[in-house]
Amino acid sequence: MAENYEPKILAFLCNWCAYAGADLAGVSRFQYPPTLRVIRTMCSGRVDPLYIAEGLVNGYDGVFVSG
Amino acid sequence: MVAKLLDLAGIERERVQLRRVSAAEGALFSEYVTEVSQKTLEMGPFDPTQYMLELGAVQRALGTRRLRWLSGMEHQLDKAENVYREKTDPDLMEEVLSEAIRSEYHKALILEMLGEGPLSVREMAERSGMPVYTVSTRLNELERDGLAEFNCHEGSTAKFASLAA
Repeated sequence: MAENYEPKILAFLCNWCAYAGADLAGVSRFQYPPTLRVIRTMCSGRVDPLYIAEGLVNGYDGVFVSG
Repeated sequence: MVAKLLDLAGIERERVQLRRVSAAEGALFSEYVTEVSQKTLEMGPFDPTQYMLELGAVQRALGTRRLRWLSGMEHQLDKAENVYREKTDPDLMEEVLSEAIRSEYHKALILEMLGEGPLSVREMAERSGMPVYTVSTRLNELERDGLAEFNCHEGSTAKFASLAA
């Protein structure tokens, strides 16, 4: 494993909950790792199980769904 | 459901995480991201090329009518009762669900392998790591559903082909 390996995580964030939460985390200057690649969804219920599998197929190290 | 399929595929289920965060919980969000990143870091990079067959089967299984219909239903099935006011037994429901997932995954794995050309039961068992008996049983189900068929003989070994798109 590379010394400076940084995981690449696909994130599905609900527009009304976690996305706003992420925004607040930014505004409040909470530190968190820059590992997420965010896709904003209108609801985390909108996230199809197939999207999660697709993320792994495309080489993401993990998938994070939050809402 | 995805977690169970990943277990079957031999991929760490911790790679997929679900968390509830409200718009007012910025601190909680950063906490979760730190936690999930740490977990993924510990598991190391994920190489999809090592799991092409399994991931193909996971996707195929998730696309089946049976699993589409069952996904996200756990909540309703847990709470609801039938017209006789009988509640579902959560353990039994869990068992039924797991069996559905297992069966769809096995069948999807077989169809994925047959996508590359006709194979014998023994070849499929070797490639997938499934026991010969499991391959044979699932293949039978696929034949019954018109998704696979006997293709040809190679010596005295029967080979099967996929009829699925």
